[in-house]
Amino acid sequence: MEPMGKVLAISPEKCTGCRLCELVCSVFHDGVSNAARSRIKVMKWESEGLYIPMSCQQCQDAPCLIVCPVKAISRDEKLSRVMVNHDICIGCRSCVTVCPFGAMGFNVIDRKNFKCDLCDGDPQCVRFCDMKAVDYLDADRVAIAKKKAAAEKITAAQRQAVALESESH
Amino acid sequence: MVNEKEGLSTAESLRKTRTYGQVRCHNPSCMGRLEPKSGEPTVKCPMCHMEWRVAWVKEGFPRIRGPVWDVNKRLAEEEFGRKMKEVKKDGPK
Amino acid sequence: MALNRKIAYIDLSTGKIEIKPIPLEVRRKFLGGRGLDAYLLYNHTKQGCDPLGPDNTLMVSGGILTATLASATSRCHVMAKSPLGGMLGSANMGGFFTPELAWAGFHHLVIKGKADKPVYLWIHNGKIEIRDAKNIWGKTVTDTQWAIREELGDDDIKSLVIGPAGENLVRYANVMTGIKNSGGRTGMGAVMGSKNLKAIAARGTMDIKIAYPKEALEYNKRFIDQITSAKVNQTQGTLGTPFIWGATNSWGGVRTRNFQYNQMLYADEIEPESIDENAIKTIGPYHMTGCFGCQVHCRAQYKIPTGPYAGIYDEGPEYTSQGGMSSEPDIPGLENLLVCNHLVDQWGVDNLEIGSIISWAMELYELGILTDKETEGLDLRFGNAEAFQEMLERICFRKGWLGNVLAEGGIIASEKIGKNSFDYLIQVKGVSNLHSDERATPALALNIATASRGSDHLRSRPAIDLYHLPVDVMRRIYSSPVPYDGPLSSEHTEYIGKPWQVFWHENCYMGVDCLGICKYHTTFLGATLPNFEDWSRVLYYNTGLELTPREIWDVAERSNMMERLFNLREGLTRNDLKKGDMLNHRYFDEPARRGALDVVGKVIDRKKFEKMIDELYEYKGLDQNGVPKPETLKRLGVDKEPSHLL
Repeated sequence: MEPMGKVLAISPEKCTGCRLCELVCSVFHDGVSNAARSRIKVMKWESEGLYIPMSCQQCQDAPCLIVCPVKAISRDEKLSRVMVNHDICIGCRSCVTVCPFGAMGFNVIDRKNFKCDLCDGDPQCVRFCDMKAVDYLDADRVAIAKKKAAAEKITAAQRQAVALESESH
Repeated sequence: MVNEKEGLSTAESLRKTRTYGQVRCHNPSCMGRLEPKSGEPTVKCPMCHMEWRVAWVKEGFPRIRGPVWDVNKRLAEEEFGRKMKEVKKDGPK
Repeated sequence: MALNRKIAYIDLSTGKIEIKPIPLEVRRKFLGGRGLDAYLLYNHTKQGCDPLGPDNTLMVSGGILTATLASATSRCHVMAKSPLGGMLGSANMGGFFTPELAWAGFHHLVIKGKADKPVYLWIHNGKIEIRDAKNIWGKTVTDTQWAIREELGDDDIKSLVIGPAGENLVRYANVMTGIKNSGGRTGMGAVMGSKNLKAIAARGTMDIKIAYPKEALEYNKRFIDQITSAKVNQTQGTLGTPFIWGATNSWGGVRTRNFQYNQMLYADEIEPESIDENAIKTIGPYHMTGCFGCQVHCRAQYKIPTGPYAGIYDEGPEYTSQGGMSSEPDIPGLENLLVCNHLVDQWGVDNLEIGSIISWAMELYELGILTDKETEGLDLRFGNAEAFQEMLERICFRKGWLGNVLAEGGIIASEKIGKNSFDYLIQVKGVSNLHSDERATPALALNIATASRGSDHLRSRPAIDLYHLPVDVMRRIYSSPVPYDGPLSSEHTEYIGKPWQVFWHENCYMGVDCLGICKYHTTFLGATLPNFEDWSRVLYYNTGLELTPREIWDVAERSNMMERLFNLREGLTRNDLKKGDMLNHRYFDEPARRGALDVVGKVIDRKKFEKMIDELYEYKGLDQNGVPKPETLKRLGVDKEPSHLL
């Protein structure tokens, strides 16, 4: 059976906030350095040291796709991504408004919307992120990794509880 | 220009000289290569007898965390006493 | 394009703003960043001007590669005449400010005059506005930045600011951005304060066209692999810069009790691994953070674990804080280190200058040169954390006689304190030394003595000299891009070949500072990290500018000469203890007492030291007084300065 396709898996806790992903994204797609053109954006709470990279989730039931009045947005099942056809797009920005993640951008220089296209299967943000805060994984592996991390925490807690128990006796 | 740009730079080619798993003794005249056993907390230099506490940056990547204070402090004090005596004998330079 | 980023001249007295392109001819001579700043400083300041007066000119700049794909192109450079030593003032910081400045259309700002009330600059997509700062004056470093975002209604604004220390004209106040990125040396924050300039806010969404995007991406990947594979950067990325302090302290290269010892004993609590354990405990396993585009991520995040400041978030501490707040005043506690690091970040003062100055005062107090009368009853003995923190506050807010005097910096303070206090002051050109003790390392001693901004490790320190590299490896590094077949020695306690190494690193570090790249991405702490050859390629792929490695070296040499010319104009004389290339007598007279066996007993040999200076001057094309020979100036194309090309 065909796998269900790879997804961008973001682990915010690993992000160092360096924004190299934003830089390589804009150079790869537009040949320019300009964070405002990046499809991925690191949201920051600097006074707490929290950095959360945000990008398109390539939703299965994508609100942008549903809302588009001219059907310029479609799903590309092969790469499991949502794509915009700029030949059809009328630039109404309905998709920008409706996206629950703010992942559909609108570029004021070119007057066009833009979103993550997974760099046709070799996401540059992933390639350049040494921390693996952004990774490119089979969709089912994302949950497995989280399960494992959570299970490890439970095991550690259990061991601690047992240790405390034996100490107190 | 294009051809010149494709080869390895000096800095890149020097990467081959890198060693893992070893640290150098922090005594500058010694600089013996020490290879602490995995997980060992201290290492004694067989050449100069100074002793170092070891920390692991990651597995297979040791670094000297600091001196074994009591040992190296004593060695340094003895050495200082000896050298100052020599200076007195020779007179000021 | 990176090459069409502009220069803006801002006169705060008149409110006049002029924006100009930077001619290619100037780019090829100085590239940008520190190099071009040095040229501008020489051309836009008058000899003998008051560093805290309206005639001093403040330069703020990004490098020519800022915000391009060259890895870690975040560095911001600030230059002016220094209020600390009256010589070259120059400071450099990471963070996220200069990429934003470049996206807003600018690489260089030249700020003159003095505003009649507190103001800040707002730079947005090609426009510059001078705005009233009444709502942000008096605020701490971070509060200032958040207040600007609030006022202008944009969370993506990045600002360069001063804290209370800069407002109070403490002569070693920082210019800062983010939580802790500091342009810390030589009092550039006081220069901003003297101009009533509280902050420079930038936000930009303008394209910087990359000349060869595909090649630039691929080469950047290679560059990053080279950088992240280095052992030194893997250690940096795990433990941050404290690992340097730890390594240096373990063999005895760290100043303790001002300059009485060269090692802090039983320093377990502030060792890098202890600092790291606190970060893990208070933040979590992933607690490292980085500057723009950098994969080394050398900065730790932490919360203060105990005491009255418990729970407060900050970043660092860097090794300079370990030196200034722990080893020099001999205070072993982790809480003191983390608290002091937080206070200097908030108040905006140079951690290593203030730590060094207070430690000097502590030695004077123990010697009886300062008494309870001057300290107003404060028990300023070594090891007293409360007294140290109290002095931090007195200096930053200029409280009491001693706080005010020490805020003036070492040289002025020594004149006011009198007696033989100056003999104990560890400084060069009015700037206190880093916490490092160079008595066992002649190459490093030569570096601090001759550094253009005063005692400083980031100008020419051949740090890899401590690694005992085989001579053939050293030969490969040090004979490119200019041939060198003179002697080299792997022994770091030696004097042989060191002047060439210092000269080579001086040009290497000027090179990165012109490009706007961080020093952890060049041959500073790692022998295998990129330099001239690699820069020639990144420069070409990103900007289209073709410069051979040798031509980049020439830019660096030329820029270093501009700094030298400035210092000479302000009175540099070779052996002058306050304005020269000379070390405190203690380097020559007091043997090191602690550390590794071979370090114990070491002093710098005065004769050999002077010979090293002679040799370095020769490489730099200076005569024996340290003045450039006419043919040198001609060769470097700076024989008609000031030439006012910009």
